[in-house]
Amino acid sequence: MTATRIDRGSTESTAIYSDGSDLVFERTFDAPREQVWKAFTDPDLIPRWWGPHGTTTTVVEMDVRPGGSWRYVSHAPDRDDVEFYGEYLEIDPPVGFKWTFLFDVEGVGPQGGPETFRFDDVDGKTKVTSIGHMGSIEALEGALASGMIAGALATWDRLAALLAEG
Amino acid sequence: MDMQQTDPLSTTFAALADPTRRAILARLAEGEASVKDLSAPFDMSQPAISKHLRVLERAGLIEQGRQAQWRPRRLRAGPLRDAADWVIQYRRHWEESFERLDAYLRDLNDRQEQGKGDDDDRDPNRSR
Repeated sequence: MTATRIDRGSTESTAIYSDGSDLVFERTFDAPREQVWKAFTDPDLIPRWWGPHGTTTTVVEMDVRPGGSWRYVSHAPDRDDVEFYGEYLEIDPPVGFKWTFLFDVEGVGPQGGPETFRFDDVDGKTKVTSIGHMGSIEALEGALASGMIAGALATWDRLAALLAEG
Repeated sequence: MDMQQTDPLSTTFAALADPTRRAILARLAEGEASVKDLSAPFDMSQPAISKHLRVLERAGLIEQGRQAQWRPRRLRAGPLRDAADWVIQYRRHWEESFERLDAYLRDLNDRQEQGKGDDDDRDPNRSR
């Protein structure tokens, strides 16, 4: 629709593209919009699905109103707990919401930024659109470029190890 | 360039957002190289390449070797891995969360259908 839209590795179920400096995910769920809204905003439901496979999530705080805070802790067997946190910026049930999505990287500080979720009713199903606002084209392009050449990282790790021996 | 104080990850991203600099990094992934070697594939003067190298160096992506004469550049993998991790984790986070949400909503749907005593499977492809 927009000239700046670039596919960024869509999968069978999920459209993934960039639009300007936004990174967008779209997926349609076979459930009414109210149910999807609830899945995103009910602290009892978040642990049922939030986070990548193999992780579990504890909701520490979830004050779903503009200015309210949220904080989740993500647990996984092979790493330390990671905290995700932020603030709700806009709430419009069941149409969507906007929050800040942050996590701390050791030695770097808080990373992430604002994210928008939109829930569109499509014949009784719900299209979820999540938009990560990366802030600048440089950030987005840099991030995606680094992801694309990530395959080389294993080699580079070995190189780095070699250099460290140096 | 350094007008504003930015966090290291933003500096990495900015440094990576240029095809010449990415090509330089790809070349350095194969091993250290002199500025002359690095300039060779590009239709660019050595000073122009040196400018790109300074950006990469400030971002901590490369460093200069100690051999006094030709000062080879080499890669530092750490910052690049941090940058790649962020976007890879972010993508993985939402892709996989959405898969789990899909499974959860289907579950809920199934239970409701069963509750109604009507568990006709209207969608035989549900376990794609």
